[in-house]
Amino acid sequence: MLKYVVKRILQSMATLVVVATVVFLLLRLMPEEGYFAEGYDKMDEAQIEAALTEMGLRDPLPVQLGNFFNGILHGDLGKSIIFRPKVPITKIIGPKIPYSLYFGLASIAISLGVGIPLGMVMARFKGKFLDNLGSAYVVLIKAVPAAVYFLFLQLYVSDALKIPMLFNEKKPVSWILPAVCMSLSSIATYAMWIRRYMVDELNKDYIKLARAKGLKNSLVMSRHVIRNAFVPMAQQLPSNILMTISGSIYVESLFSIPGMGGLLVSAIQRQDNTLVQALVLIYSCIGILGLFLGDLLMALCDPRIKLGKKGSGR
Amino acid sequence: MNNRYTEKILEAKDVVVKFNLRGRTLTAIRGISLDLYKGESLAIVGESGSGKSVFTKTFMGLLDANGRVDSGSILYKGNDLAKYTTEKEWLTIRGKEIAMVFQDPMTSLNPLKTVGKQIRETVELHQGLKGAEAKAKTIEILNDVGITMPEIRYKQYPHEFSGGMRQRAVIAIAVACNPNILICDEPTTALDVTIQAQILKLLHKLQEKYSLTIIYITHDLGVVANVADRIAVMYAGDIIEVGLCEEVFYNAKHPYTWALLSSLPQLGVKGEPLYSIKGTPPNLFHEIHGDAFAPRNPYALEVDFEVRPPYFEVSPTHKAKTWLLDPRAPKVEPPKLIVRMLEKWKEAPEHV
Repeated sequence: MLKYVVKRILQSMATLVVVATVVFLLLRLMPEEGYFAEGYDKMDEAQIEAALTEMGLRDPLPVQLGNFFNGILHGDLGKSIIFRPKVPITKIIGPKIPYSLYFGLASIAISLGVGIPLGMVMARFKGKFLDNLGSAYVVLIKAVPAAVYFLFLQLYVSDALKIPMLFNEKKPVSWILPAVCMSLSSIATYAMWIRRYMVDELNKDYIKLARAKGLKNSLVMSRHVIRNAFVPMAQQLPSNILMTISGSIYVESLFSIPGMGGLLVSAIQRQDNTLVQALVLIYSCIGILGLFLGDLLMALCDPRIKLGKKGSGR
Repeated sequence: MNNRYTEKILEAKDVVVKFNLRGRTLTAIRGISLDLYKGESLAIVGESGSGKSVFTKTFMGLLDANGRVDSGSILYKGNDLAKYTTEKEWLTIRGKEIAMVFQDPMTSLNPLKTVGKQIRETVELHQGLKGAEAKAKTIEILNDVGITMPEIRYKQYPHEFSGGMRQRAVIAIAVACNPNILICDEPTTALDVTIQAQILKLLHKLQEKYSLTIIYITHDLGVVANVADRIAVMYAGDIIEVGLCEEVFYNAKHPYTWALLSSLPQLGVKGEPLYSIKGTPPNLFHEIHGDAFAPRNPYALEVDFEVRPPYFEVSPTHKAKTWLLDPRAPKVEPPKLIVRMLEKWKEAPEHV
């Protein structure tokens, strides 16, 4: 197990280095304008050259890359140029993390708490009314663009329940709507997964054997079906959770929540090269971490995944 | 049959099983009557789709949700299993009285639980043991089914077992239930030939040790010849011939049984194509008139197409459903191929 974890960590770090390099190189292709907060139009060639040299952007590429990695290793993601000139990026992102994190955690609690039982009920009553009702919900949420029902919730439900339309830090009730909005889609996802995997399991031969040996239906479910159905989910769950807590672009902007979600969009729109670079790097880290945790969780759940050995098992 | 098999343990009478499929009704079992005697080994043979598995599943209430016992009765210890509907009723039968070994050992075990745990679950359920006692019993059973180093195997997962070992584990689960009747649904089909023989030998050994009554479901007459006391031949949802092993092999009366025996690959003559039964089994969505095998039967009489034949008794233990046994029917000899085979077998019976 330890060997596998170490191997997987090394793999993830290698991936991270590659991703960071690619991000770095891609952003070298961006217009140089993105390195100037103001006055780019009024500067002449020589001034621009001087400024770029001063920022180290005229150094040979390997040297620049070296500096970039050096910065990362010291926790320095560079300074914002346009969005908030001369402010270290860590200071920009730092205060935004709690918002995204809290909403993300609330949303995960809601979507796991509702989605998984919903999926179980759907699997249990497969083909019956409750299953159809759940399927209708899944199809509705997945097929209708989120913008439509988010706006509906924001405009009508907030009015009907007399809760604020926008997020307001001082009013706890204003937390409810955004958290619900963020959960609607993931409830559908979890319900769909659990239902599918449980139905898959229910048709397996070992479930028939468990019945044939005289195990009660409820015990067949709790001892054999549910745990086995969780395995295929285990791999996807951590990335899903991490992606949720790293902020929802749409919900955050809709309810004016000062989280991380909206930041990337603004940074790209305003061509703040270093900020974009830092944010893309952070999101890739989260993605890679999610995959790593997913693999680890699955290996913990499923003994067939041979750790660190090749060519055995199926 | 020797006289030791006289006590009936299970009596099926006129069992009819129907399935609803997309709004249509399929009659899978068309009125089977069969007695099972305590301690015997009965083999049910027949081609795919003849209803072998479906028939035995009715003993345990394991039919798929769209299937039901339409009429008839299945008497077991004074209760009519055909009337059972609730899970609670079936739980008094499943495992405890009747256990089952499935065809494919590769998929019959839960891949996420250790083999020991899966057997122990059954031991705890049916033998009321707990903790260390349950574990000790599990290891004893593992030992009984011929798994070496049971203490180590106890902690292993199914994927660490070979196919034959897994089938032994599945048999261990069945035995752990401490049942009276064991239904083996094609227990060796998924295994290679050398392992097949071992598994059959094991089942025979367990039958004596745990005094089991075993029903083998198979389409492999080679398996049957090795293990069965009695054979029931099924065709299109009915048992068309039933008798002692020797009777069905050496003195078969139904043309379908002849056809089945003629298709044995062991009978092939080099350079000649193997015998195969022409045509296909009848569509069970339609009502069947007369003998279901008549359209494929070269010996069919006119009456075979009109009236369903009753059982004609050949001996007290041997009966067949064919009009050929009627005193008015013309005398028909079994095909030459079979006669030749029987002579060959009589010289060297171990070649079956």
